[in-house]
Amino acid sequence: MDNVLEIKNYSKVYSGNKKAVDSLNLMVKAGEIHAFIGHNGAGKTTTIRAVVGIMDFDEGEILINGHSVKDDPVKCKSMTAYIPDNPDLYDYITGIQYLNYMCDMFSVSAKERVSRIQKYADVLKLTDGLGNLISSYSHGMKQKLALIGAFIHSPQLFVLDEPFVGLDPEATFHLKKMMRELCDAGTAIFFSTHVLEVAEKLCDKVTIINNGKLIESGTMEEIKGSHSLEDVFMEVVENERQV
Amino acid sequence: MKGKYKYLLRMQLYNLFGFNRLIHSRDKQEKQRLAIVVAFGLAAIAILVIYTTKFSIGMAEAGLCEALPTLMVVVSSLAALTLTFVKSTGVLIGLKDYDMVMSMPVNTFSIVTSRITLLYLINLIIGFIAMLPSGIIYIAYEHPPICSYLFLVGALFLMPIIPMIISLSLGVLIVAVSSRSRHKNIFSLVLSTAAVLMIVFASAKTQSMDATQITDLSVTMAETVNRFYPPAILFTNALIHNDWADFAIFSAISLLLGIAFIGIVSHYYKTLNTAVFSHYAKKNYKIGALKSSSPFMALYKKEFRRLGSCTIYALNSCIGIVLLLVMAVMAVFFMPSTLRQQVEAMGIMSVVQNIMPIALAIFVSMTSTTAASLSLEGKNRWIMCSVPTLARTVYNSKIAVNLTVILPILYVSAIFIRIVIPCSFMQTVLLFVIPTVYAFFISVLGIYLNIKFPKYDWTSEYYAVKGGAISVLATIGGGMASSLIPLYLCIIFQHYQIIIMLSITCLILLITLAIYYKVCQTKLYV
Repeated sequence: MDNVLEIKNYSKVYSGNKKAVDSLNLMVKAGEIHAFIGHNGAGKTTTIRAVVGIMDFDEGEILINGHSVKDDPVKCKSMTAYIPDNPDLYDYITGIQYLNYMCDMFSVSAKERVSRIQKYADVLKLTDGLGNLISSYSHGMKQKLALIGAFIHSPQLFVLDEPFVGLDPEATFHLKKMMRELCDAGTAIFFSTHVLEVAEKLCDKVTIINNGKLIESGTMEEIKGSHSLEDVFMEVVENERQV
Repeated sequence: MKGKYKYLLRMQLYNLFGFNRLIHSRDKQEKQRLAIVVAFGLAAIAILVIYTTKFSIGMAEAGLCEALPTLMVVVSSLAALTLTFVKSTGVLIGLKDYDMVMSMPVNTFSIVTSRITLLYLINLIIGFIAMLPSGIIYIAYEHPPICSYLFLVGALFLMPIIPMIISLSLGVLIVAVSSRSRHKNIFSLVLSTAAVLMIVFASAKTQSMDATQITDLSVTMAETVNRFYPPAILFTNALIHNDWADFAIFSAISLLLGIAFIGIVSHYYKTLNTAVFSHYAKKNYKIGALKSSSPFMALYKKEFRRLGSCTIYALNSCIGIVLLLVMAVMAVFFMPSTLRQQVEAMGIMSVVQNIMPIALAIFVSMTSTTAASLSLEGKNRWIMCSVPTLARTVYNSKIAVNLTVILPILYVSAIFIRIVIPCSFMQTVLLFVIPTVYAFFISVLGIYLNIKFPKYDWTSEYYAVKGGAISVLATIGGGMASSLIPLYLCIIFQHYQIIIMLSITCLILLITLAIYYKVCQTKLYV
């Protein structure tokens, strides 16, 4: 399988020379679901933001299908879908206007967009409310809308920051199913989460990050062995703390 | 309750004028930005104080000192009326921290009082700036008894209350009536534009008169205000006739109305906010055919929706060009023919013809939707940054919206003005070309300064558009300077008008191209 996402020696330094992420190396292959876990402030969101090209970085290289995020950002973004941890959407437009906007930005044809919106909105039970202003949506509905906006252009890399926060159980079930379907179709999925049970059941690979440094990375079996991912994570973080 | 009110107010004050950031920020650039905002604010205060002092001295020297108290009421009340109307809904209803504040163990009376206190404090500062110089001049010329000092100080504190209540009531009423209407922003925009135009024309009319006309108008205005606004006559009587009873009634009316208003709003606060936050959600949407657009057009349409969705943004950034249109229409339909004859008789028609393009450019340079357009992306900016398009396309879409706002209105206004003022072919061409160059200049300057000084972390759109948004202040300041300086030079050096206008326009064009090149080189990051 080809590497869709390659992170090579990526470092991000904030003012005061504090390294938020220190020489991170990571690869996500096509058709792979890769969990990115770590405690609050470990550097997950900083890494994710650099991957999707919305945050500049100091050292290293990030490649999407061989294209550099720094040198060829538009090409990289056209292959990537991103959902932040708290997807603030445009409150002043309707759900359908938002999806149409996303289709325009990602050059989805007029014919294809209707069928794709219909498909994903029906699955996530959002079709009826698409004509309403986003300001009238609940947090979960906004989350669903952001997900549809991400699925709609059939990305090759799907990057999600805490995607399960705020979703109802049914939507969580469908999201996991859709992630698996995308993955089977060859999309690489890279997401951060604090819900370790979901990561354990859903993911092929896992990376643990602590204080900006990669601690463990490998297949789920390699990392957790006969233990639960939660046990492994706690043990790793505790060891690091003692060091 | 008092203690909780204090905490709520303190939290509101942290956000006022950005002083808390100035004290605690470790970011040097942010401190510099805030320092510039403070400098701009102090300069504006100084100008206002000088203006009111000069005006009050003029009135006093014309022997019209007795009209000063009423005029103080007028200025202070109008300031409170306008400022509160603009801020009313943003401060009281539909706030982003509503859920958090309402979930705290504190009654709605404290919440409403803390919010209104913040507005009151802002109005108090404006009222002090507007009234204090006139008050001092009144005392200096009239030498009133000691009780008048008390009346003046009392009035400074009480005067903003009634206009505030009127504006807040209007704002709350609009929210209550239109909370379920899709056109509430347009309704609010039209109403606000009309209010601003009335105030601008009233002050412009005053400025265009000579000293005798001003004092006559001031006396007439004072008499009219006294007739229709009872608090004004109460205060005037108290000050001029040392009438304690009138002052007591004035104070009682102001305070009781204030308390009653807070009581009523507190009672319905939850209901009003529920109406704002809970939208009628139709659940019958059917997906039909969807039109596709290029990324530029998609961004452009989204940008236009943004402009239409935010009253304060549209009002603040477009009032200049609207003002031009209104003046051009008035010139065609309401300008007395004697005025044109007078201009011809005075031999200044050729000056007017020559400087008209720059005069139009002044209104154009007051119009910049771009100066706040990036800031207004706020927490949504992750979308703008993560879509697969060049940063240049995003900037172009924002520039295009400003040009769409300016150019059609500018050309219609230019046609109207051409009808009123006879011009040669060359003068007519310049009437269209020079303001067009300024339209491009102000659009590009706005986006450049907003890239340099973004303000993404606002809690209300007011703070991105007004409230010390440095990009907006600097854009309008730069735009005005770029058009007022050539106008001034044209008036001083009348024989070189065309050369001055053409050379400065060429310079502006070159600066615009240089800034645009720099803008295109800038990447977008959150």
